[in-house]
Amino acid sequence: MSDAVAEKPKAITSRHDPRFEVTLYKYIGVENSHTLEFYQSHGGYESAKKAITSMKPVDVVEEMKKSGIRGRGGAGFPTGLKWSFMPPVDGRQRYIVCNADESEPGSCKDRYVLEDDPHQLIEGMIIAGYAISATKGVLYIRGEYYLGYERLYKAIQDAKAAGLLGKNLFGTDFEYEIILHRGAGAYICGEESALMNSFEGFRANPRLKPPFPAQAGVYSLPTTVNNVTSLASAVHIIGKGADWFSGMGTDDSKGFHHVQVSGPAKRRGVYEVPMGISYREIIFDLAGGPTEEVKAFIPGGSSCPMFPFTDQYLDMPMEYASVAKAGSMLGTGGIMLIPQNKCMVDALYNVVRFYAHESCGKCTPCREGVSTWLPSMYKKMLAGLGEKGDLELLEDVSSNIRGRSFCPLADACIMPVQASIKHFRPEYEYIIEHGKSMYPRQSRWAD
Amino acid sequence: MKVKVNDVELDLAPGTSAIDAVFAAGYDVPYFCSQEYMSPIGACRMCLAVVGAPRKERDGSWTMDEATGQPKIFYFPNPMATCTTAIMEGMVIDTLSDVTKKAQGGMMEMHLINHPLDCPTCDKGGACELQDRAYEYGSGHSRFIFDKRHNEKHHALSELITLDRERCIHCKRCVRYFEEVPGDEVLDFIERGGHTFIGTVEEGLPSNFSGNITDICPVGALLDTTSRFRGRNWEYDHTRSTSLDDASGSAITIDARTGRIERIKAALNTQVNKNWIDDGTRFGHEYAASSDRIKTPMLRKNGKLEPVTWEEATLFISEKLKKLSDNQLGIALRSDATLEEGVAAKSLAEYLKTGQIDHYPRYASSVISANPASFNDLATAGAIFVMADATEEVPMVDLRIKDALKGVTPPTLMAHGVPIADLRLKERMPRKTNILSVAAPYRVDLMKYAAHSMVYPTGTEVEVLKQIIDASTDAGKALKESLSAAEKAVIVLGAFVLNSAEASKLADDLAKATGAKVMKLGAMANSFGLESQDVLPAKADYSYPNMLSGSAKALIVSGLNPAQNAEVAQALLKLELLVVHDLFENETTALAHVVLPAKSGYEKEGTVVNLEGRYLNVNPAPVDGGQAVDFTGFVKELGDALNERLEGRSVRSARRLLKKSLELDLSELPLEGTIASAKAGKVAGLKTNTSGNALLVPSMVRSEYLNRNAHLFASTGGNALRLHPADAASHNLSAHDVISVSVGGFKRRLSVQPSESVPEGMMLLPALPDQPVGLVQLDLNSIKKEQVALEVA
Amino acid sequence: MVELETLKPFFAERQDVLNEILGRYPDYGRRSAVMPLLWEVQREERQVNEARIHEIAEILGIQPTEVKGVMSFYSTYHEHAIGKYHLQICSTLACSLAGSDEMYDFISEETGLVNGETDRQGLFSIQKVECLGSCTTAPVLQVNDTYYERVGKSRCQTLLEAFRRGEMPEPWRERYGDNEGAEKAKPLQNTIKTGGNA
Ligand SMILES: Cc1cc2nc3c(=O)[nH]c(=O)nc-3n(C[C@H](O)[C@H](O)[C@H](O)COP(=O)(O)O)c2cc1C
Ligand code: SF4
Ligand code: SF4
Ligand code: FES
Ligand code: FES
Repeated sequence: MSDAVAEKPKAITSRHDPRFEVTLYKYIGVENSHTLEFYQSHGGYESAKKAITSMKPVDVVEEMKKSGIRGRGGAGFPTGLKWSFMPPVDGRQRYIVCNADESEPGSCKDRYVLEDDPHQLIEGMIIAGYAISATKGVLYIRGEYYLGYERLYKAIQDAKAAGLLGKNLFGTDFEYEIILHRGAGAYICGEESALMNSFEGFRANPRLKPPFPAQAGVYSLPTTVNNVTSLASAVHIIGKGADWFSGMGTDDSKGFHHVQVSGPAKRRGVYEVPMGISYREIIFDLAGGPTEEVKAFIPGGSSCPMFPFTDQYLDMPMEYASVAKAGSMLGTGGIMLIPQNKCMVDALYNVVRFYAHESCGKCTPCREGVSTWLPSMYKKMLAGLGEKGDLELLEDVSSNIRGRSFCPLADACIMPVQASIKHFRPEYEYIIEHGKSMYPRQSRWAD
Repeated sequence: MKVKVNDVELDLAPGTSAIDAVFAAGYDVPYFCSQEYMSPIGACRMCLAVVGAPRKERDGSWTMDEATGQPKIFYFPNPMATCTTAIMEGMVIDTLSDVTKKAQGGMMEMHLINHPLDCPTCDKGGACELQDRAYEYGSGHSRFIFDKRHNEKHHALSELITLDRERCIHCKRCVRYFEEVPGDEVLDFIERGGHTFIGTVEEGLPSNFSGNITDICPVGALLDTTSRFRGRNWEYDHTRSTSLDDASGSAITIDARTGRIERIKAALNTQVNKNWIDDGTRFGHEYAASSDRIKTPMLRKNGKLEPVTWEEATLFISEKLKKLSDNQLGIALRSDATLEEGVAAKSLAEYLKTGQIDHYPRYASSVISANPASFNDLATAGAIFVMADATEEVPMVDLRIKDALKGVTPPTLMAHGVPIADLRLKERMPRKTNILSVAAPYRVDLMKYAAHSMVYPTGTEVEVLKQIIDASTDAGKALKESLSAAEKAVIVLGAFVLNSAEASKLADDLAKATGAKVMKLGAMANSFGLESQDVLPAKADYSYPNMLSGSAKALIVSGLNPAQNAEVAQALLKLELLVVHDLFENETTALAHVVLPAKSGYEKEGTVVNLEGRYLNVNPAPVDGGQAVDFTGFVKELGDALNERLEGRSVRSARRLLKKSLELDLSELPLEGTIASAKAGKVAGLKTNTSGNALLVPSMVRSEYLNRNAHLFASTGGNALRLHPADAASHNLSAHDVISVSVGGFKRRLSVQPSESVPEGMMLLPALPDQPVGLVQLDLNSIKKEQVALEVA
Repeated sequence: MVELETLKPFFAERQDVLNEILGRYPDYGRRSAVMPLLWEVQREERQVNEARIHEIAEILGIQPTEVKGVMSFYSTYHEHAIGKYHLQICSTLACSLAGSDEMYDFISEETGLVNGETDRQGLFSIQKVECLGSCTTAPVLQVNDTYYERVGKSRCQTLLEAFRRGEMPEPWRERYGDNEGAEKAKPLQNTIKTGGNA
C-alpha cells in the first residue's frame, strides 16, 4: 500500500545492458532457421495468432503507435501512424507492401531476414495486413537476392500448405495472401512509389504525391508500404508488447534498430542494437574498432551525410533527433567507415557514380545534374585536370540540384557531396591545386 | 479560393494549379513538361517558384503572424513545381524572388548542358520553347565544358516523323500524349537516367494521330518529315484555317513559304479539335504543292486542250449555255466546297434556270440531326453508341470519344486560355470503356477501346437497329437501356447508316426513344453546310448520278471526276458541254470541253459548317495557284461573259446573301466558330447498291490524292484492298501485291493487305468522292498484278 | 542455302510456368507479370531478344514498346546474350574500400574482357554492378545468382579456375555480426572510450 510512484526502469540504450537481448536477429545464421518447422518450434506465428484471434485491427495499430517504432526503410516515419492513415474500409481491395528492395549502399540488414528468417517477415506482413484490413500483401524483393527469393518462395508455399496463409487464418474469417515479386536491378525501386510502378509492370519512375499510397497505391488501391525490419518488428511488438519495445531507446527513438558496419572494421557485420546506443559502442565494442586509421563515418547508408570520426560524433547517441541535429540522418543504419588514406574526392566519385547510374531519368536536375554533370566534374578532378573555380562550380551546381528534384534520389546524392566538401574541403582544394589526390590510390584488396 | 501571386490577388477555383494561378495573374514561369490537355507530371522542374500558405490551428482559425496581424505564411522549405501544386486558400506564390530565379536559371542551365544547340539547322528554330526560354531565363553562357551526350540524329520513327535524339529534353510530352490522348502506347522512354532516350519497337508508329507529337515537342526532337529542312519558322506565313479534310471542322495552321504549302499543324479550337489533328489532315497536304496542278484555263481545240485566258474560256462556255433550254444544265460541287461556293452555284443555277444542281458525295438521308450532338456533348457523354467507322470518317470524333472514356470534362478556360496544368488529368487514367458501344460491318479501330462491339453483316444496319429498338436481343436491350439511363447519351451515325433512308429513320427513332443526341458524320467537310443551304436537286431525277446518266445535256463539275467510271465516261461523251473545275488533269478533264483551274482547300476563303452545325471560317494561305479560282471566282468570270452581276460572284457577295438568310455575319465569326440551328434539307433519294462482293469504306487519308502525297503514300503503302487472309489465298493474292482491278466500273489500283479484321467473303477498299461508301461489285476476273510482292521462302 | 530457323514461341511449351506466373497477380494487374516473364526468358536464354519482347507484349495485351521500355529500365535484363558465368563485380563504396576495383582489374586481365563484354565462347561476361546489399562482407562477386563474399585475391583466382572447369563452387560464409548468429556478436568489453581523432 505504498503510494510511491513505481519508478520506471531506465530504458535500454546499450548492448552492454544485461537486459538487452537480440530478438529480431536471434535466429539469423542458425542452421535451418529459414524452415517453417524451425520457425514454428521457436514460437513462430504466435504473434500473428494473438493479433488475429484476440485483438481488433485498431488495437494492433494502437499497439504499434504505442511502441513508438519508426520506419526502418530510411525515412523514419512512425509506423503505427502510417497504418492509421489507411482510409476506412470501403470494399476495395487493400494492400500491404513489403519493401525488400534494399539497395542503399551500406545497407544489408533486410537481406539476412529474407534469407534466414523468411517466416518472421511473413508473420509480420500478416499482422500488418490484419491491422490495416488488407487481404493481400506484396513482397517486392530486389532481383539480386536470389537466395532470399527462393527461400521466401518456399516459405510462402509452406505457410500456405500449413494454413498460415490463405483463407480462415487461425480459425477466423481473416484471409491473407502474399504476392512475391522480384525486382531486376534498379535502386529507385526502393522508393515506394517507383516500387509500385515497377510492381505494376511500368517503368519504375516515382509517382506524383499526393495521392499517397494510402489513397492510391498499388493498382490505385489503398496501400501501405513498409520496410522489412519495420514489419518483422511488428511480430515482437505484438508478441512482447509495446512497452517491452519502448523499453529500449530514447524519448525520440524507441526500440531496436539494425546497424550494418562496413568499411575497415574488425568485425564488420549487422548488429541489433537498442536505439540511443552511441556510435562509439557500435564501432568499437560491436564491430571491434577500425583496422586502420579512419577519418569519417557515414551513419545510415550512403545518402546520409558523413560525420568526421571524432569524439563529438562518436559519442552521439544513435537517435533520430540527435543525428538530424548534427546534420545527417539515421537512414537505414548502414554505418560505413572511411579510412584516412582514402581520397575523399575519389570516395565521393564512387558515391556520385552510384546515384548517376541509378537515376531514373525522369527529372532534369537528376538526369542532367546527378547523372551527367556531377560525375564529369569528379572525373575531371580525379584525372588531375581540376581548375580554379571547379569546387565553387561543384558547390553551385549542387545547390541548384538540392531540393529541386522530383524525388529524394537526387538529394540523396547531393547531401553526401555537400557534407564531404564541408568536412574535407582541403582534400578538394588539394586535388584541384596539385592535380593529384592528397591520398593516392593504393590497393585495398586483401588476399 | 484566394491566392496571391507576387502582388496580384486572385480568386480561383479550387483544384487550380499554381502554374495556372501564375499565368492567370499575368506573370510567367517557364515550363517544358506541362502541356495543355495532358497530365501534369512535374518532370522538367522549370516551373519552380517559392510557395507558401497559411496554416490552421486545431480550432480552425488561422495561425497568425504576431508582427503583421495577418495569417502567418509558412513557406515550403524548397521551391515547388507549380505545375503539380494545387492552390490552397491564402497561398502565396512568389515568382520574382532571387530563390525562384536561381532555381529556374539553374534548371535552364541543366536543360542545355546536353543539348546540341544546333539551332541553325533545326526546323524548330524560331519556334522552339527551349530557345525562347533559354533567352528569357538562361544565363547566356554555359559552364558545362564536357562532351555532350551523343545520340542518333536522324532517326525515322515512321515515314512521317523524324526523331533527333540529341535534341530531346525528356519532357515526356510525346510519351504521355500517346497514352493519354489516342491511347496508343507506341512510344516510350528506353533505358534510364542519363541514358534515357525516346524509342519504339513498333514499326512506323501505328497510330492515326501520331503527328501531334511534332507540335507539342518543345524542341526540334520530333519533326514532321514532310517539311524537314523546307524552311525556317520565321520564313513561313502562318494561316489559321479550318481543315477541309473531313466534317470535323478541325482548326489548322497552314505554313507556307514562297507560295508553297510546306506544313500543316494543329491549331487550337477548344470546342472542336482542342490541340489535335489526325495524320491524314496533317500529312495529306503535299498534293496541293504538286507541280502538275492546272494553272490556267484550258479549252479543247481540235481535240486538244490548250491554255486560254479566262475570258476566252468563259466566253466559250457562255455561248454554249445560251443554247440550252431550262433544266438542261447540271452543276455539281464536291461536298467540301464552301458555303460561299454553294451560294454561287445556286445563283448560277437560278440564273440559268436549272434545277439540276447537287453536291456529292452525299447520303440517301440528311446529315442534319433534329437533336444534334456537339463535340463537347460527345466528350462528356455517359453512353455512346457508334454505328460508323468514325476513326476513318471523322477522326476527331474518335479522339473526343476518348475524352469521354477518361471521364474528365473539358477544362474551364482561364484568363490565359486552356489551363496549362489541369490537375484532374493523370497519367494512365482508367478508361470507362463500358460506356462505349461500336457497331460496324467490319472491325473498326474504335472497337479496340470499346467494351461492347459488334461486327454485323454488311447491309444489315436496319436489322441491327431494330434489335436495339425492340430490345429483342440481350446486347440490344442492354445498349438501349444504357442509352436511356445515361444523363447524356450520344449516337454517332456514319455512312453505313446514312446511306439507307430506312436505317437513318430507325436510328432517329432510337434517339428519340432513348433521349440520345445524334451526331451524323457528313461525307465531307461541308456536307452539313451544302445541305443546309439547299445545294440540292429540285427533284430526285436531277441528282448528280442522274445528271451523269443522261438527265443533263451540259455539265459543270467542280472537284469531281465522274469519268473514272468507264460507263459514265461513255455517257459524258454525248454532252454538249462539259466543264471541269479541278486541281489536276484526270479521266474527266480528258473528255472536257473546258478545264478550269481550281483552288485547293488551303487556298480558299470561305465558310464551312461542321458536323455539329458550327460555322467555321476557311482562310487562304498565300499560295501560288496560278490563275486558280474557287467556284465563286468562276461564277464571277462567267457572269462577266454573260454580262450579268451574279450573286455569289465573290466571297463577299455570297456572304451578303447568307447574312440575310442565316442572320450570321460570316466575316465576323469567332475563331471557335458559331453553332446555329439548321433544318434538314430535302435530300432526294439516292440509290445505293444493296449487293456486291466489296465494300467501299471511308478513309481518313484522302484516297483521291494519295498518289500525290508521297509521305502518306509511303506510310500507308497506297490505297489498300483489305480482305480476309483466306480470301486472299483463294484469289491467289498475297500481301503487298499491287493490282489493278475493275470495281463497279472504276479502274482501281490497290495494294493487297490481308487482314483478320475483315469478315470472310467481303473485300474492303477506300471510297472515292465519285465512288462513295457502299457495296460494290469487284470483278475478280479483271485483277491484274502490276507488282508482285517479294516471295519469302 | 541458309535455312531461316523460326523461333518457337518461348512460352508455348511452358504453359504451366506461364499460367503460374499470370496466376500470381489479380486480373486487373495482369501487366505485373511483365517482370517475371522477362526473368523467365532471361534466365533460360541469357538474353531477351526482340521476338520475346513481342511475345510477352502479346501475352499481356500491351504494346511491345512498353515491354521494351520496362525491360531496358533495369540492369539485369540483357539485349544480347551474356556468358555462362556472369561475373558481376560490386563496385560501390563498401566494396571499393575492400578492394573491388583491384578485383575488377584482376578479373578483367584474367578473362581479357572489359566491363560489359562477353567472350566469344560465351563463357564469361563481366559487368561492374552497384551495391549488392552485402556491404559487410565486401568485396562481393555475384556470379549468375550466387553471391561470393569477402572475395580476396586467392579466392577470386580459385573461383575463376573452377568456372573454367565448369564448376560452380558452393559459396562460403564468413561473417561477424548478428548475421552470423547472435552469440558470436557479443560486444567486446570495456573498449568504450578508445579511438577517435578528437
Ligand atoms: C531513392 C530511395 C530509395 C529507397 N530505397 C529503399 C529501400 O531499398 N528499402 C526500403 O525499405 N525503403 C527505401 N526507401 C524508402 C521508401 O520510400 C519508404 O519510405 C519505405 O519503404 C517505407 O517503409 P518504412 O516506413 O517501414 O521505413 C527509399 C526511398 C528513396 C527515396
Ligand atoms: S530525382 Fe528525378 S530523375 Fe532522379 S530518381 Fe528521382 S525522379 Fe528520377
Ligand atoms: S522527343 Fe520532344 S516531346 Fe518527346 S520527350 Fe523529347 S523533348 Fe519531349
Ligand atoms: S515541372 Fe515541368 S512544368 Fe512543372
Ligand atoms: S557496396 Fe558492394 S555490396 Fe554494398
